[in-house]
Order: sequence, then structure tokens, then C-alpha cells
Amino acid sequence: MREPPPLRDGRQEMPADTVEAIYDTLWATSEIPTRAPEGIERVMLAEDKLYVVLAVVLIIWFGLIFFLLRTDRRLDTLERELEDRIPEDHTPA
Amino acid sequence: MPTLTERFTKGGSPGVNVERYRTIRTVVLVAVTAVAVGGFLIEIPRIQILEHTARNLYFHVPMWFTLMAAVAVSAYHSLRFLQTGDLRRDVRAREAALVGVVFGILGLLTGMVWARFTWYQGTNIWWNFDPKQSMAAVQLLIYGAYLVLRTAFDEPQKRGRIAAVYNLFALVTVPFLLFILPRQAPSLHPGADGNPAFSDFTAPSMRWVLYPAFASFIGLFWVIYTQRVRAAFLKLRLHGDTD
Repeated sequence: MREPPPLRDGRQEMPADTVEAIYDTLWATSEIPTRAPEGIERVMLAEDKLYVVLAVVLIIWFGLIFFLLRTDRRLDTLERELEDRIPEDHTPA
Repeated sequence: MPTLTERFTKGGSPGVNVERYRTIRTVVLVAVTAVAVGGFLIEIPRIQILEHTARNLYFHVPMWFTLMAAVAVSAYHSLRFLQTGDLRRDVRAREAALVGVVFGILGLLTGMVWARFTWYQGTNIWWNFDPKQSMAAVQLLIYGAYLVLRTAFDEPQKRGRIAAVYNLFALVTVPFLLFILPRQAPSLHPGADGNPAFSDFTAPSMRWVLYPAFASFIGLFWVIYTQRVRAAFLKLRLHGDTD
């Protein structure tokens, strides 16, 4: 097993040409885990980790839905309150 | 008898322009949909460890830009409240902060999931007190405290003033907690010491989705915020109180 090259103190010098060059300096020589993924990783690492993106999008979607439902509840309360204040004879039949 | 909208826009006070709201809402909903579709379909360069999760850039990063936009809007209305004493400014400040915190929570959760399957792959770690994540969590607590602080006062003007002053101080912490401090710490997050920052590694093709994503999610904030402001103004008229 090869040790990754030691990092110097402070900022890394960054060859700014390509994406590959940047990542090669950091990771090309380090060990990539080869152990078979277990549990949740078996799902999330499949398809080149595409399901991680799906999970992130779903978190945002469900978070916004939850918040929208709370706004809905506030409108329900307001509607009930307004109805209480409208005089009887103005209520449509 | 002035209409509801006229009453609220009289003398330049901050009412809701419903016509403008409807136009922007439609544009924003189409744009967010386009970003979601483009985020999955447009080709991206493959990078080890990141692989397809690089696409999270389109969804995770805009959450934080939206939080920053939201708290800036909130602080602006807090400042205007201190100048005018108009409770509708206080309502706007609260709603902007609340919606901002929701986006911040989503930013933190999406960041956790992203980190779990890249930084912490094979280790079963969900949270490792990475400085960037910890500072972001502290930032959310600061704004959570703003919302809690408001509940401590019964008198609307007093509540508005104290909350507004707190809100202005809270805004000052944002650049420190989200950028300056984490960048000086040994964080795994891009932009931290020893890590390439966003502009160093984002391929040009990704910017076609990323920049519209920033605009779309900030627009989505604006839509939700305006919707809540409309409801809160009704409540203000019914009760004469903001909270």
C-alpha cells in the first residue's frame, strides 16, 4: 500500500489548467476504497452516486412541501376567523 | 372606500403588488422546473469520489445563497422598521428570516447527505463536526434565536424594535460564520484552506445550470415569502398584532 504524498503546510499550489489536474494532485495517488459497499451505501453509490442527487432533490422537495402545508394551516385559521366576523345576513345562501 | 391593496400601498408603505407577484411566481416555477430537469440531464465532467454528486452543486449551493438573500431582505426591513415603526416592516422581516431559515435547514440537510457519500464514504459517518458544517449550524441557531426572541414580548412595537436590533447584529455574523471562519479551518468543504474553491473546479458547462439555479431558488424564496407576507398582513389587520 502506497502512502499518499505528504501535504505541505498552508495552501496547496494549484495548477489551474484543468479539472483533472487539480484532483490528480490531491487524490491520484491515494487509496480508493475497494471494499464492497454495505447497507445504505449499496443503494446510494450505485449508478455513479446518482441516487445521492435524487436524495438531495427529494429533501428540498419534501422540506418545501412541509412548509407549504404550514402556510396552508395559517390560511385556514385566518379564514375561520374572518367567517366568524362576517355578520349572519351577509353570508351567501 | 379604498381597496385592500390601496390601503397597504398608501404613502409608499410596503404592501404586496399582487399583479407583479403573479407574474414572477409563474416565471419562477417554470425556471425551477427547468433547473431540476437540466440538473439531471446536462452532461458534466466525471471526477473521482464526486461522480454524479457534483450535480448537487445545482441544489445544495443555491440553498445557502437563498439563505443569504433572505436574511439580507429581513435585515433591510428590520432597518426600515426602526426608521418608521410600521409593523408591516416587522412582519416582512420575520417572514423573510423564517423562510430563509427553512432554506438554511435544507442546505444543511442536503450538505449532510452529500458529505456522507463523498467525504465519509465507507465510514458510516453522517456528522463529523466539519468546521463549515458546524458554523452553518451555528448560523441557523442565531436566526432560530431571532424567531424565538420574538415570542418573548407581548407589545408589538417593543417586540419589533428589539427583534430588529438583534436581526441587524445577526446579519453581521453571516460572512464570518459562512465564509471567513470556515475557510481558515481544516475543513473538507470546497473553498476551505487547502481545498480548491468553487471557481477553480466548476466546469464551464455546469455554469449554464448553476447560475439559473441561483436565480430560480432565490425567486422561489421570494414567491413563498410574498405568499406568507400576504397572509401575515391579513392577520395584522384582524388582530392589530404581528405575531
